[in-house]
Amino acid sequence: MEQVLVNGIYLGCQYALIALGLTLIFGLMGVLNFAHGQMYVLGGFVTYYVYGVLGLPFPLALVATAATLCVTGALFDKLLFRRVLRRGAREESSMLLAAGTALLLESLILIVFGEKHRGVPSLAPGVARIGDAFLPYSRIVVMVLAAALIVGFIVFMRQTRIGRGLRAIAQDREAALLQGVDVERYGMLGFAFGAALAGLAGSLLVVISGVNSGLGTWISIKAFIMVMIGGAGVVSGAILGGFILGMAESLGYRFFPGGETYLMLFVAMIVFLAIRPQGLMGKPWG
Amino acid sequence: MSYFRASDLSVRYDQVRAITGVSVELEEGDIVALIGANGAGKTTTLRAITGLAGLASGEIFLDGQRIDGLRPNAIVALGVAMVPEGRRVFPFLSVMDNLLMGAFLRRGRRAIAADVERVFERFPRLRERRSQAAGTMSGGEQQMLAIGRALMARPRLLLLDEPSLGLAPMLVQEIARAILAINREDRVSLILVEQNSRMALRVSSRAYALETGRVALEGASRDLANDDRIRELYLGG
Repeated sequence: MEQVLVNGIYLGCQYALIALGLTLIFGLMGVLNFAHGQMYVLGGFVTYYVYGVLGLPFPLALVATAATLCVTGALFDKLLFRRVLRRGAREESSMLLAAGTALLLESLILIVFGEKHRGVPSLAPGVARIGDAFLPYSRIVVMVLAAALIVGFIVFMRQTRIGRGLRAIAQDREAALLQGVDVERYGMLGFAFGAALAGLAGSLLVVISGVNSGLGTWISIKAFIMVMIGGAGVVSGAILGGFILGMAESLGYRFFPGGETYLMLFVAMIVFLAIRPQGLMGKPWG
Repeated sequence: MSYFRASDLSVRYDQVRAITGVSVELEEGDIVALIGANGAGKTTTLRAITGLAGLASGEIFLDGQRIDGLRPNAIVALGVAMVPEGRRVFPFLSVMDNLLMGAFLRRGRRAIAADVERVFERFPRLRERRSQAAGTMSGGEQQMLAIGRALMARPRLLLLDEPSLGLAPMLVQEIARAILAINREDRVSLILVEQNSRMALRVSSRAYALETGRVALEGASRDLANDDRIRELYLGG
């Protein structure tokens, strides 16, 4: 049972990081970023390349990943979403675009990085024993990094002028405009940060289980589940959703080694949304 | 030439004319009121001035500088702040963070902190609730916060959209006093949109009565308050 708990917390930290990026983009732009999983995969590949292939230090790989994904997110916004959101009177336009960007990014990743599953050398060999549970050191490093990124993100959103501006846009776009916030520029910034969070989660994953170009859709689905559990556009909801999914997955795999875990998760999800469609923390963004 | 001049403004929403040929002028340090029924085009006029609504025709000058066609954030930077209808405070930000949002384009921590202090002196209730989420406050407190937030931009021209809406009579008095104080002490020029015409005509020196998107009547507020037509339509006989 302790093993289940330890695994759940480990997964929860990673998942929360993924969900945070998705909820940030949704809260700011009203866009469901279907390409979130592909951004995560891209982050994994950048880290694989910088750390695994070039042999540069891991922190440098994290910086390179964050920078690559920031640029990717900013370009997505500037070249694609901004144009469609400006003109499109219908919500479906941005949804379709979002689905298209997922396919586009997945294909680009496939062309550039190939179809092989890639892994990198472990960050720290060895296994720690916590009570009756075992946790490899590399997973502890990943968990601590994920938690630090989450805390850093929250502090940034609460304590800085840019963070305040982003929160204001998410809560009332027009009122933010009336305070002089350049909502288009900040929307681009939010998209860039959201993409970077997805990419950094991917960086952490590649250390543990490697990465391949086909993972993206599955990650996006998980991210959507977390955000729906927690409530779309709410920071606390994303974190809560991440830990709930991590714990549920850890429990499920303990008792049902096969594919039943996610089958049951989806059924539970449908029941839950029928009862509470806005999610646990469902309210506008803060 | 007037300090502020909006001439011949027309705005269309989905091909429907919201306002047609509306002109508003304001001398520096003045308070001008726009009165009229729901849907007369008062809010649309303010939205056109702040750049939130695109103009089909017309031009707007502030202190000799043409401001129509600029983006809303550029217009804020030139010293035009608006207290929007329904207050529109950021519900999940604290009172303090809401005020800091008002100073979003300003630099200089010390000057901003001093202005926060001034807002607290003007509205002591906000000081008590500085770390409370704005959305949990009463309507009157939210209105004070919305006005305080707008003042944090150090505006030269302040646009107020229905500040008395939904407030108890005593609070309406308090808001009216605050408007006059802001005008006199901070030397801010004001355009006040109100359905409460009695209050609006009392605090303003000039007024425009809007009807179905056009200026139906304009003049000194004192004269309008005694005008038979205005009395019948807006002041309840």
